Amino acid sequence: MEQTEHAKHPPYVGIFAALAVLTALELGVAFFENWPKRVIILVLVFLAIWKALLVALYYMHLRFEPNRLRILALAPLPLAVILVIAVITEYVW
Amino acid sequence: MAHAAVMRPPAPAEPGAGVYNAKLGMWVFLGSEVMFFTALIGSYIILRFGNEQYWAQPAQILNVPITAFNTFWLICSSVTMVKAFAAAQDGNQKALRGWLVATVVIGAMFVGIQAYEYAQLIHLGFLPSGYRAGSELAEAAAAGTPYHGSALPASVSLYGATFYTMTGFHGFHVTMGVICMAFVTWKAFRGSYTATDHRGVEVIGLYWHFVDLVWIILFTIVYLI
Amino acid sequence: MATMAATIDHAHAHVDDRSFLRKYIFSTDHKIIGIQFLMLSLLFLLIGGLLAMMMRWELGFPTQPMPGGTLLPETMAPGGILLPEFYNSLVTMHGTFMVFFAIMPLLVGVFANYLIPLKLGAPDMAFPRLNMASFWIAVPAGVLMLAGFFVEGGAAGAGWTSYAPLSANAEYSGVSLGQELWCLSLVVLGLSSILGATNYITTVINMRAPGMTWFRMPLSIWSLFITAILTLLAIPILSGAAIMLLFDQTIGTTFFLPAEGGQPLLWQHLFWFFGHPEVYILILPAMGMVSDIIANGARKPIFGYHSMVYAIIGIGFLGWIVWGHHMFQSGMNPTLGTTFMISTMLIAVPSAIKTFNWLGTLWRGNIRLHVPMLHACAFVAMFVIGGLSGVYMASTPVDIYIHDTYFIVAHLHYVLFGGSLFALFGAITFWYPKMFGRMMNPLLGKAHFWLTFLFYNLTFFPMHELGLQGHMRRIYDPTQYAFLQHLQPLNEFITLSAFLLFAVQLIFAVNFIMSWWNGKKASPNPWEDTGLEWSTPSPPPHGNWPETPTVHHAPYEFSSPLVQEDYLMQNRKVEGAPAAAASRTE
Repeated sequence: MEQTEHAKHPPYVGIFAALAVLTALELGVAFFENWPKRVIILVLVFLAIWKALLVALYYMHLRFEPNRLRILALAPLPLAVILVIAVITEYVW
Repeated sequence: MAHAAVMRPPAPAEPGAGVYNAKLGMWVFLGSEVMFFTALIGSYIILRFGNEQYWAQPAQILNVPITAFNTFWLICSSVTMVKAFAAAQDGNQKALRGWLVATVVIGAMFVGIQAYEYAQLIHLGFLPSGYRAGSELAEAAAAGTPYHGSALPASVSLYGATFYTMTGFHGFHVTMGVICMAFVTWKAFRGSYTATDHRGVEVIGLYWHFVDLVWIILFTIVYLI
Repeated sequence: MATMAATIDHAHAHVDDRSFLRKYIFSTDHKIIGIQFLMLSLLFLLIGGLLAMMMRWELGFPTQPMPGGTLLPETMAPGGILLPEFYNSLVTMHGTFMVFFAIMPLLVGVFANYLIPLKLGAPDMAFPRLNMASFWIAVPAGVLMLAGFFVEGGAAGAGWTSYAPLSANAEYSGVSLGQELWCLSLVVLGLSSILGATNYITTVINMRAPGMTWFRMPLSIWSLFITAILTLLAIPILSGAAIMLLFDQTIGTTFFLPAEGGQPLLWQHLFWFFGHPEVYILILPAMGMVSDIIANGARKPIFGYHSMVYAIIGIGFLGWIVWGHHMFQSGMNPTLGTTFMISTMLIAVPSAIKTFNWLGTLWRGNIRLHVPMLHACAFVAMFVIGGLSGVYMASTPVDIYIHDTYFIVAHLHYVLFGGSLFALFGAITFWYPKMFGRMMNPLLGKAHFWLTFLFYNLTFFPMHELGLQGHMRRIYDPTQYAFLQHLQPLNEFITLSAFLLFAVQLIFAVNFIMSWWNGKKASPNPWEDTGLEWSTPSPPPHGNWPETPTVHHAPYEFSSPLVQEDYLMQNRKVEGAPAAAASRTE
């Protein structure tokens, strides 16, 4: 719709390569015995968020959408965080 | 009179989200999907946080190599999906059809591999309700003998419950995606998508990538942590 | 791009040559779907009411044979005496039906469907076929829920909140299949609500007629829009939780069973994380429609329109961080208790803003006390009573005393019946001429209103007293407790009032049905209102307008000096009025 003539596409295959490499990296980190579990979890979560962002920004082309749509897409996330943090306090504190 | 009404142009509207209805609608729907997975993944995080003793080590029960391959496979389907979208934008019908067929096939294979993984786990004795009595896993857990490196937890009922619920509902979403994608592919073969109007491809693509995105999160927190 | 955004199926706008089936049963017309939801939810309102009558009989005259009770099977009421297990099912199903199958579809299914396109100048919803699916998914959900009464073990009996572990294992509640049907039904209904909400949100964002800027939307649409967002994000949490509960019951998982690490409080957190936004889903649309009716009845623009909008948005936000006030007595982490107490009290602020704005609208208005206006005024009054008791329940120390007593029952009925249901009676009367092309009888309407208002208060106000005396909710036989025995006359009084309350609803039913045949023919704008829906015939044709209307004015231009009549419709162009384009920039 937006592009009628042959448009320049984002580097889809490059993103794919990045996702594959990050997945391999995750596998390496997950079974890396020398690090404390806590560090491994942090690194893994970081890598997962990185991958998720790549998919959302390029494959779902949020990067090229109006700001209004980006806000709409991100709106539920704070609620998810509120729920999980509030209920986790049942175990700590 | 009646003819004048037929000739009515498409209803004009105030500028809204700046995207067409179906795309906006899909994003809105994905918002509710985020909350649905929040309920499942959030419960997993909370339950695991309070019950670490009931969780096995990564790869102790679950088959990580096959799932790692499946993860890679699902990422492949995402790239074929965007390639189909790019082909639709370029008006390249042949490429559009080819990439869509590839996406359907890869998606269906993902579900197949997951079914195989489930069958293997159930055979091993890992059920949504915990160990199956008398199974290999149950005996190893009862005896306290090391199993793939270390002793198994005394109970894996929470582990099994959260594992099967999360991955099962993800698999259900992939299945739904494959069905819708098959429909879009069928329409593509009928030539319904042009360089100027390929909304169906874009909207199903959004759903497909979202399901991929959820799997990225699930693979990390269920299989690797 | 903008024209493409609003491309819709408009080919049918001229001659209506659809078959009966396509026109009235599997219709994609938002107006028909709204009316279908109306019939469905009024049916469930009736069922929910009947269940309440049986409960009231048991509470007023414990363990005595109920008149007509012998019609019930032996498994429910042998010899006409209600069994305790059946009483549990009554409590559960009354709440479930009223919340999920009566009030929620009445507010959202009916009026979001009917009003959003008509008030925004759109020819239909953004996704008409999805809209039809949303109704036809709601029907089997209702059937599944009703089926509970006819299966082995009876209907779900763990309360409409289905607290685990009571609900999670058939050994505890004695109900197995009924409880599973309860979960399944809510998951199916949830899908229907989510599809509906997706439709409403897309329509409001993308399909407003030219000139219908955000701040020219009537408050009913604002509140239905915010409600749709709450529905969209809250319902999936319930679906997820209900699925986990279903797995606990059927395939032996232990999400909510504490034996092997499961967490019963997790159910309560998930349920109320959904449940509190749900409370606002049940009241916000009522507030919005009451605002429309009050402006019409007072012949004045709504007082503080912008503050009303911000209050609705504020309630929408705050509604997400107050869920814990349902759980003060659950053994929840006390730090959370204080947090929730403060956030709950904060939410009284936007609610009070709205109340004062309604009063400000009425102040020195040229009031027309038509039937919808009577109901709208009753809404404001009853909402204040229900809201104020809410404020002091929000305080943890007070709540510890009144938790799970009839005080809570009184409070929730003051907001749900006194609030939402009065608003609904008003809204149905108000939009009836648009829906069916005929007016409801005003005399019967007034009789229904005053009798309902009287018996409603006689039924529910004394419950505050019962609660303060320590009368627990959800008990089968109050007389078995010595400290409740002296309250039995009050219980009998409430029961008789409730029967009368139920009986006078017959007036409404008669009025509703008879007006369909012989009501006065309605003009396009019988209430002399300003909304866009009144600029099209009653009932509007398929496609709503032959040409998309253009909006020139704010929503509540009553008594405008620009025109001779005391109302200025939103799409009426007036010479010398501020240009439509001027407000586009806001």
